[in-house]
Amino acid sequence: MLASRNKRRKHREPGFRPKIRPGLKIRTKLLLLVLLLLAIPWMGYKSVREMENFLLEGQQQALELTAQGIASLLGNRRDLFALAAGVPEVLGRPFYIVPQDLIQALPVDAAAELWAAAIGELTDFSGFGLFECNKDYQPDSFALRHGLGAHENSIFSFFDVTDDSVIFRDPEKIALDHNDQLRMTVQDKAGATQRYLLTAQAEGRLSIYRMKRNWREPETGEALREIVAVMELTSWGYAIKLRIPGAYLGTGSRLKFELVDVDDKRDRKIEKIISTEPDPFRYDTRRIRLMTPELAKLIQPLYLPEGNITIWDRYFRLRAELGSIFPEDARLRQLRLENPSFLDRVELAGISLYEWVFRDPEGGDSDIPDDSSREDRSLLQKVLAKGQSETSRRRYGDARLIVTAVPIWAQGEIEGAILIKQSGNKLLALQYGTLRRFTVLFLGVFLFLTLAILIFSSRLTYRVGKLQRETELATTPEGRLLKDRIVAGARASDELGNLTRSISLMLQNLGHYTRYLEKLPDTLAHELHNPLNVVNSSLENLQYQHAELTDDKYLQRARNGLNRLRSIITSLTEAVNLKDALIQGSEQFERFDFAALVTNCVEGYQAANPEHRFLVQVFPGTLLIDGAPDRLAQLLDKLVDNAIEFGKKDGLITVTLHRTDTQAQLTVANQGSLLPEEIAERLFDPMVSSGKDARKTHLGLGLYIVRLVADFHGGTVQARNRRGLDGVEVTVTLPRPDRDTRLD
Amino acid sequence: MAKVIAIVEDDLDQRENYADVLSSHGYEVRCYADKADAEEGFRTALPDLALLDIMLGEDMDGGFDLCMELRNRSPALPIIFLTARDSDTDRISSQRMTAWDYITKPVSLEFLVARVHALLKIAEQLKSQESEPPVSLLEVDQLELDENSMSVRWCGEVVSLTLTEFWIVESLARNPGHVKTYDVLNDVTRQGLVERNTINGYIRRIRNKFRLLDPAFDRIQTVHGTGYKWAKDLG
Repeated sequence: MLASRNKRRKHREPGFRPKIRPGLKIRTKLLLLVLLLLAIPWMGYKSVREMENFLLEGQQQALELTAQGIASLLGNRRDLFALAAGVPEVLGRPFYIVPQDLIQALPVDAAAELWAAAIGELTDFSGFGLFECNKDYQPDSFALRHGLGAHENSIFSFFDVTDDSVIFRDPEKIALDHNDQLRMTVQDKAGATQRYLLTAQAEGRLSIYRMKRNWREPETGEALREIVAVMELTSWGYAIKLRIPGAYLGTGSRLKFELVDVDDKRDRKIEKIISTEPDPFRYDTRRIRLMTPELAKLIQPLYLPEGNITIWDRYFRLRAELGSIFPEDARLRQLRLENPSFLDRVELAGISLYEWVFRDPEGGDSDIPDDSSREDRSLLQKVLAKGQSETSRRRYGDARLIVTAVPIWAQGEIEGAILIKQSGNKLLALQYGTLRRFTVLFLGVFLFLTLAILIFSSRLTYRVGKLQRETELATTPEGRLLKDRIVAGARASDELGNLTRSISLMLQNLGHYTRYLEKLPDTLAHELHNPLNVVNSSLENLQYQHAELTDDKYLQRARNGLNRLRSIITSLTEAVNLKDALIQGSEQFERFDFAALVTNCVEGYQAANPEHRFLVQVFPGTLLIDGAPDRLAQLLDKLVDNAIEFGKKDGLITVTLHRTDTQAQLTVANQGSLLPEEIAERLFDPMVSSGKDARKTHLGLGLYIVRLVADFHGGTVQARNRRGLDGVEVTVTLPRPDRDTRLD
Repeated sequence: MAKVIAIVEDDLDQRENYADVLSSHGYEVRCYADKADAEEGFRTALPDLALLDIMLGEDMDGGFDLCMELRNRSPALPIIFLTARDSDTDRISSQRMTAWDYITKPVSLEFLVARVHALLKIAEQLKSQESEPPVSLLEVDQLELDENSMSVRWCGEVVSLTLTEFWIVESLARNPGHVKTYDVLNDVTRQGLVERNTINGYIRRIRNKFRLLDPAFDRIQTVHGTGYKWAKDLG
């Protein structure tokens, strides 16, 4: 039984609702398609990268050209690279204030004005970055103007100091760091460092001591004699005139001054220190430098923004330097951010958030190490060894550095090299700005497109779904047409509208065809009636005129045949007439006892068909339903006819009337052959029959009438093989009136 | 003088068969194949009874047109529709044109003759009714049946029935309370073998006609599976 059921179910499938198959829906597909748009930012990124490369290339070529220009400018100038031409670089000094070549030696006793005039331009050190001081520093309380000069083998250094309170050394105290003083650091070629302290107890000659690293205790108690310094009080502070013998420093040495200010006579604490080292972050005092003033002056006009030009001799000594790869405002910004105000903090938070989202390559400045001399050196080595120019691009985090080095020739020999470094950050900043704008724009477009496609696809899915639902509802699972047009979306002008109209048209055509098929038996019957009448009346006339033929067996058989033909034609028209009658509403519903009707009818069937046994199983009492009793009797007729026709001879035909609260269930079961699977679902359609007996009429209209009547009463009908598989049962389920309106 | 019967039927074989059997029963038969022929014939002389097919050749409702014309000229002329069309619409149309009977093909010639005979007799009676009192009157409660004129009154009002319907009502009313089985009613209709459903159709139409006059009419009761009976008046 179970196996048979499964088989049946399997058989049902083609006629049933289409299964939902797993897979991507239109909306998902379109959204996946939108994801393809992500290729645009990728492409944009790639092209910006290409652009970056292109721009960097251009910048690099410009740098190379510059380098070559400088190299040819400096070519064959052996004099510039002579050792004697070099002055040891004053440590911490921008090269553009290299010592002035003095016309004559300056006596330390000469007036400060004389020194100032002779040395010429002084560098003002009251700016940023060179101080150790507190926040309320005022330039008129402590400032330094400083200049250097050289003559023959001496260095002359002049300090013009603004100081609102000059504190001399207290001779009673041993400590040397409790008064205004000048500190000098000298580093020789080998890297050995000497510290000298210049201090005074009164105006006049300064005492000079060699100091330990902490600047508190002298190495020896002896004052130095070779270096001479005189202090002279001025109306705004004091001046120091200093002479250092060149031999004392040696070639390639470096020099740094720090001016220390003490203001309070009592606690004698160091308030401020001004250093002549302009870039304390970058310079290592161990580097060998030999500055050539001539060279420096030559390259001075070639200043490159965010670029650093250095000229080296073949012994890897720096001869001249111009510019810095750091932007000019970088230090300012750094200083400001070290002591942030509230507003600065707010701005900082905003900036850091912004940079977290779009990482700003300008932050890449900090990625460049203060000292990249090792890489520079290896590049220089290559250039000086091979005599060919070299270019490299370096990447420090987000920062880019373009470095190019070109050899300088003199009479066929490599005299030195020029090394130019320039940061690519300006370009990168430009590029990242472009990327950022592009990203924002793209995100906007992407979101908009996604939304638009989402809306569009939702609408499309909704429309397709509606069409699908309505199409499914247009026919029953058995393939019967329920309606002949699709209303939803039929007015749309797009392809979906066309599809809807096509389906509508198809349904209409199907409807016409179905109606034609349903009318066909009637038309056929009508056409058959006339010839049938001819035969019938002719036979009667024959019999009338030849009375002796009345009992003729052939006449009898002809008459039997006629009767059969007639009953066929009647059953053909019956269904159509019934359908017309039901549609026209000529049937009136009345409330009647269905149980009595069934019992009476079955009695009649038993009387008419003695060769079959009938069994009625009806619940005692009345079973009132609303309906057309004639039509329901007709329905029962058909069910019983069917049971008789397909049941085996002497088989038992059981008519059961069962009731529930809401339904009356009529079942007619017969013993005999089973339902063929292939027609099980269509059994209640017109002209479907499983009969194979040639002598009987099998038009298959009986169960069609059953269905029509059941439908008309709002009921259902179902045929299946009986439990035990010894026959077939057909069950008609009819609704009962509401409990509150019925009387039983 | 022999009664004249007009037969309008487009099918030659059927027409001749009707003509043969009616002539052999002593009627004078005039046959027409189409509407134009018949109209011309009727203009010359009216028959005593007309046997009309509804569909005449291409003319779908030719019989109805002829019926209207005949009725206009003679209100009391018996008209029988003999047709292959068996729809309620057609039956109602024929009723509206006061045809006396409506028989569907195939028809048994024996019964056809019986009907023709009966209708002519009724026509005869109607003509002489003014002078003679009703002879055969069956009264059952509010129902009056005049077997001669074959007229039916319910509560004194005329119910317009066809011949077949009259025979069914008469059969039921003659024995109130007795069940007339389908087989009995089959014989009563005098049409040869008739399906149950055809009987049901007749009963339905009869009930409808009574209910037009008396919406509460419920005398004709169904005995399901068996037949019908005329309920006795319980009041």
